[in-house]
Amino acid sequence: MKKWLSFLMVAMLALVLAACTANKEAGKEPEKPAENTSTDEGKEEGKKDEDVAIEKTLLMNNGEEPTSFDPSIGFNAVSWSALNNIMEGLTRLDKDHRAVEATAEKIDVSDDGLTYTFTIRDGAKWSNGDPVVAGDFVFAWKHMLNPETASPAAFLAYFIEGAEAYNNGEGSADDIAIEAKDEKTFVVKLTSPNEAFLNIITNPSFFPINEKVASADPNWHTEAATFVGNGPFKLSAWSHDVSFEFEKNEHYWDADAVQLDKVHWAMVNDDTTAYQMYQANELDVTSVPSEIADQMKDSKELRIDDQAGLYFYRFNTSMEPFTNKKIRQAFAYAVDQEEIVNFVTKNGEKPAHGFVTYGFIGPDGKEFRETVGDLVSYNPEKAKQLLEEGMKEEGYAELPKVTLSYSTSETHQNIAIALQSKFKEVLGVDAALQNVESGVFLSEQKEFKYQMSRSSFLHDYADPVNALESFITGSSMNRTTWSNAEYDKLIADIKNETDENKRWELLKQADKLLMDEMPVFPLYFYNSTSLEKEGVSGILRHPVGYVDLKYADKN
Amino acid sequence: MAIYIVKRFFMMIATILIIATLTFFLMHSIPGSPFDEERTSNPTIQANLEKFYKLDQPTHVQYAHYLKSIATFDFGPSIKKPNESVNKLLARGFPISFELGMVTILVAVISGITLGTFAALRHNGIIDYAAMAFAVVGISVPNFVLATVLIQQVAVNWNLLPPATWSSPLHMILPTLALATGPTAIIARLTRSSMLEVLTQDYMKMARAKGLSPMRIVLRHALRNALMPIVTIMGTMLAGILTGTFVIEKIFAIPGMGKYFVESINNRDYPVIMGSTVFYSAFLVFMLFLVDIVYGFLDPRIKLHRKEGDA
Repeated sequence: MKKWLSFLMVAMLALVLAACTANKEAGKEPEKPAENTSTDEGKEEGKKDEDVAIEKTLLMNNGEEPTSFDPSIGFNAVSWSALNNIMEGLTRLDKDHRAVEATAEKIDVSDDGLTYTFTIRDGAKWSNGDPVVAGDFVFAWKHMLNPETASPAAFLAYFIEGAEAYNNGEGSADDIAIEAKDEKTFVVKLTSPNEAFLNIITNPSFFPINEKVASADPNWHTEAATFVGNGPFKLSAWSHDVSFEFEKNEHYWDADAVQLDKVHWAMVNDDTTAYQMYQANELDVTSVPSEIADQMKDSKELRIDDQAGLYFYRFNTSMEPFTNKKIRQAFAYAVDQEEIVNFVTKNGEKPAHGFVTYGFIGPDGKEFRETVGDLVSYNPEKAKQLLEEGMKEEGYAELPKVTLSYSTSETHQNIAIALQSKFKEVLGVDAALQNVESGVFLSEQKEFKYQMSRSSFLHDYADPVNALESFITGSSMNRTTWSNAEYDKLIADIKNETDENKRWELLKQADKLLMDEMPVFPLYFYNSTSLEKEGVSGILRHPVGYVDLKYADKN
Repeated sequence: MAIYIVKRFFMMIATILIIATLTFFLMHSIPGSPFDEERTSNPTIQANLEKFYKLDQPTHVQYAHYLKSIATFDFGPSIKKPNESVNKLLARGFPISFELGMVTILVAVISGITLGTFAALRHNGIIDYAAMAFAVVGISVPNFVLATVLIQQVAVNWNLLPPATWSSPLHMILPTLALATGPTAIIARLTRSSMLEVLTQDYMKMARAKGLSPMRIVLRHALRNALMPIVTIMGTMLAGILTGTFVIEKIFAIPGMGKYFVESINNRDYPVIMGSTVFYSAFLVFMLFLVDIVYGFLDPRIKLHRKEGDA
């Protein structure tokens, strides 16, 4: 028996030793970036006065591992925050959120608004020194549209002639109207004129891919060593699930404008932990944990940026009582948007009184939201009256049972409770609440199983029509069963209208019609709040778009 | 012994197969798909994605494909991270979870048994009360609360240790403390109660009568017998801690595999659900097997292969 016991002891010891050696090995690899974060950071502060030419390293947090650095696949914020800085498209958003020339130095549009001719800059180079050529764009865009790539972004390119047919397997790649006229000239033909086109192609899914590199190695985008980009920074290190790092790209055409030497991105998925790292100077920028949003309200380090998108509720217009327009309106007028923003979400959002968000400037130079004005706002008298009229129209003695559904989250729940109490207070309606797991919620909402359910919308590109087109008949974003021929025609007209003034009028009409028919009612427009250490400057955050560090600086 | 191991091995395979099959059908019976997002992609894109992941095929074909992937231990690409195979995710996450888990277990076992033994030997004394007070607190304070408090105090306020991430041995201290407190408390309580029971046995009197040293009595005669219940819980505890813990890994931004269990289900990331479940169940079944073997070493009265005499 003694033997067995000693065997056990030895086995235990072996395990301990194994664990210890594992420590050292595992510790080694990610240690390098960590030195940049904690130790170097500490030294940097001490040395600052004596050492002038110090490396500027910005410490950012990406939350989690980017989905993919293949620009056709990484179609979400965690990929864009990197892609937008290590690659660059034909256009890029400037400080005023307008799409301006980037890799392209000249853009010609034909008179009918259909053909775009881009001239690529002579200085545009890949991080391996290759010149960026028109063929790289053709290659990348066809890669995105190839059905086998299964790119979630492909629908954005359906404005291009032949793109949709190729993507759904009916057409061929050769029929897409994109062409490299010569090394530096790239020509695109659209199906209909589109004011937003230059804005749409700022999305990373329209970035070029170095054809030579990608043909030689299809997995070029999976590791830092093989990644080739053309942005202000180059990907210098990527330790999966741990961190990644940028270095200034000396081949970038506008390298002089880039201030930072390095950017280190951690992947900390917990808001509170990220905030604690920010307090410990291990991050320069972080998001605001919702628990302390209220305390941070007056902090000098807080910055609030508009985000094009909104939080709203959908009615199911095929389910009683919301088949009736007046009853829908009654519920919408019973909602106090200001109260929700000030007392429930408390994150400095703007209340929403229409469906189109702030930040869209018309040809008249005025803000869309302001010229249209408030289309729906808290009005208890009107709500009561509308409910009465609606019930009379439908012949209800008693209102059918109403259930509000939302997906599991504390914010959604708090908002639902606020709505519930408002419906009780204003309309005398006892609405039931239903909390559903997110995955189930989204799939059942699409199957029209909920009477009234929470929803949100974030713009894919910066044009009001992007939000409004969600509600045309049969759209996968509609999810209300609402169908209105007049509205469908308005959206179709908007998409074909080349006169900017007329188009803007049609957009206003569509917003008004939507808020009159009320298949949905808006609550608030999104914003993004972040904390930035003193000395950090120049980070661009666009209402529609991606964090841009090209002009960022840290002193 | 050999026959027993072979028998157990086949039972293990059968158990894993049953778990895998149940997981597959449960997983496909939950409403929702990996592509259900707030921004709904249009039907063409959805179709392309489903084709890419072979989700357009009938369930029995998918099931056959799934069994094949278990047999070859190749679960294909993750849906949420298309560039990476599930194998790669597990191969990257598991060593880190294992490392943290191993250190945690060592801390918990050593400190838990020590605390429990001293508490039992000084029954109703100050040490006993102190140890049990610690155990009650350790069991009742959830580790995520402890983790947040530790980060705030030790890392932010006192600036002694790095708050989070996983890059040096120093980064391991706080997560280990947060993770080990619960198991330490459980082990301490178990050790104490089972020691108290053993100490009243007749053979303890016998040992004392023989004139053995107290040290020897405690270690050789009392503790060894008192360890049985601890070995019993060690199997599940090891499997649970070594394969990563979602909350602690998330709070400390540790790139282990704990997150895959929870996130894959939220995202309906089928290949990752399958991969992580099969991996975890295989690991758990193996740990339980180890526990049974250890029983035999600790207590010769437990026979692993009952019919040894007949064979």
